[in-house]
Amino acid sequence: MSLVNLTVNGRAISANIEPRQHLGDFLRENLLLTATHLGCEHGVCGACTVLIDGAPARSCIAFPAALEGARITTLEGLADDPVAAELREAFTVEHGLQCGFCTPGMLMMARDIVLRRPGAGEEAIRHELAGNLCRCTGYVGIVRAVESVAARHAGAAPVVTRGTEVAPSAFVSPLTLPVAGTLVSKQAQDAVTPKAAPAASADISFETLHNPVRMTQHFEVPAPLGEVWNVFQQPEKVVACLPGARLTAPTDGRSFEAEMGVKLGPMAATFRGAGTIMADEATLSGIIRGQGVDGRSASRVRAELTYRLAPLQDGSATAVAVEIAYELKGPLAQMSRGTIARDLAGRLTEIFAANLAAALTGVPAASKPAALDGGALFLAMLKGFFLRLFRRG
Amino acid sequence: MKAARFDYHRPADLTAALTGLGAAGGKPLSGGQSLGPMLNLRLARPAALVDVGRLAELRRVEERADGVLYGAAITHAEIEDGAVPDPTGGILPAIASGIAYRAVRNRGTMGGSLAHADPAADWPTTLAALGAIIHLTALTGPRESRVPDLIRGAFDTTLEEGEIISGIFVPRLSPDARWGYRKSCRKVGEFAEAMAAVLIDPPRNIARLVIGATETRHLVLEGRDIEDSAVLDAALAGIGIAADPARARLFRAVVADALSAAQTSHVSA
Repeated sequence: MSLVNLTVNGRAISANIEPRQHLGDFLRENLLLTATHLGCEHGVCGACTVLIDGAPARSCIAFPAALEGARITTLEGLADDPVAAELREAFTVEHGLQCGFCTPGMLMMARDIVLRRPGAGEEAIRHELAGNLCRCTGYVGIVRAVESVAARHAGAAPVVTRGTEVAPSAFVSPLTLPVAGTLVSKQAQDAVTPKAAPAASADISFETLHNPVRMTQHFEVPAPLGEVWNVFQQPEKVVACLPGARLTAPTDGRSFEAEMGVKLGPMAATFRGAGTIMADEATLSGIIRGQGVDGRSASRVRAELTYRLAPLQDGSATAVAVEIAYELKGPLAQMSRGTIARDLAGRLTEIFAANLAAALTGVPAASKPAALDGGALFLAMLKGFFLRLFRRG
Repeated sequence: MKAARFDYHRPADLTAALTGLGAAGGKPLSGGQSLGPMLNLRLARPAALVDVGRLAELRRVEERADGVLYGAAITHAEIEDGAVPDPTGGILPAIASGIAYRAVRNRGTMGGSLAHADPAADWPTTLAALGAIIHLTALTGPRESRVPDLIRGAFDTTLEEGEIISGIFVPRLSPDARWGYRKSCRKVGEFAEAMAAVLIDPPRNIARLVIGATETRHLVLEGRDIEDSAVLDAALAGIGIAADPARARLFRAVVADALSAAQTSHVSA
């Protein structure tokens, strides 16, 4: 808990606040200022927009603990604001709302647009409002409403709202109630336990991947086909070539349970799940399928690895063709936009090689989380694994 | 969509901040406009946040004859509004005004954007093209880096544990420098799907093309290479973009637009 002093709609507030509580929740839950709406809660939809020191900001990704001394204005605090009054009237006239969920954020942004860009036309207003989503698709009415107020202010001197004072309203808000700033810390009970992995079973059904990321790679390993084929039939060897991955249960050779830690910048996830191995010796090919869930973020990954082997030269070497297809869903895909840091693959190959060398010398290697998601990494490591395995052999 | 528990520290000065970051699990917090969503989605679960966004050392701006040194915690909105000096004849305010949305620009910082190292963010591509020098600081001492050396991949930098970006030095452009910048977004304010920046500054002997939104490190072409389509194609192939014909076309179009903008648009430095 941190003791934080804020000014909210002109009133001084001191409260003990958990650092993890965001401003939107603090305003709604602790101060009962429910005009601020929470939509996406990750800074995308704009519904929770409030003024911090006079300038609009998303309250869902602002933390009161980090706002010591800040002046916060919510829609309640604009009850007597002249521009907000004009906007309320215009939203009524132009039918600028349907369900009303986005409206508080729209009004907050609209006031800023009118002050900062008086006389702004439709194009400028649409540009400025692009960060506020209306799911009733009522943009036409909203934009017309803002345009009519902005037109009335045409010729006025633009006001940079950052750092401006907003006159407190006379509106009697729930802020007259005592502040519920005494939430009890539950440190001891809250120890986070990751959700249990979904039970793996041999008859997991795999749906077709929808619009997966695909990549292929061809490489040669200096070993006879039979040896390479054998490695692909052993889940523990395939899994062992992924940094951060390990089997979580003994495998029967046809199905497996595994987990893999991945790290992308400040994001970290541990996927736990299961997979199957199918091989067709007649065509020297096979498919390894897997799917997993990151219990913390509820991100899901599904992947297919298709491999095809061919003997080379006099049979002392083997050509390997591998295709990876994967789809990532949930928060991790959203934040990383499905990106793959392809150039990291090379450096992760080195981590992998180190792990392998350690394993070969009998020293258990520290299993570091891989520093990226995806198939490029896997391909690079798979290639490195085979090259090193058979070079050493 | 609630962040996991973390401790919050607001150190009084830079030295205290660097000491605090040395403690286990400490992450620097600047404007929090990228870290905030990751905290709420629980993709990032730092044990502690060390607030560097209000440190005086990171909030100062120093104008020099050869450019401007911005503190890392100068916000996009401050640059957009001209609240700080601009050595680029309007390039920096124009770029700032195109970042996300005003509500984000009011809090997001230039240094935070660089440290987050999103390949599709505006500052890394722009500052790489402008030849900015990034000032880094740690308890062991300061060092300097160029953007292409700082950002080695998506969300991946050469910042050491306990090291932060303290400032960004943007060199002053020549009066007849030319600039082109294009990005392709599905929606205003969204992260770009392709972006390119071109700086041609003959008196300083600079002709530079930087391509961003690559999903990996930035592509930097210099000199005659910037107009050579074979070199461009090879570079795109090198980072896997050529594999998708639609994406490769988008990147080529964005580069062509930025190059043609740089033929005509003089900066007013």
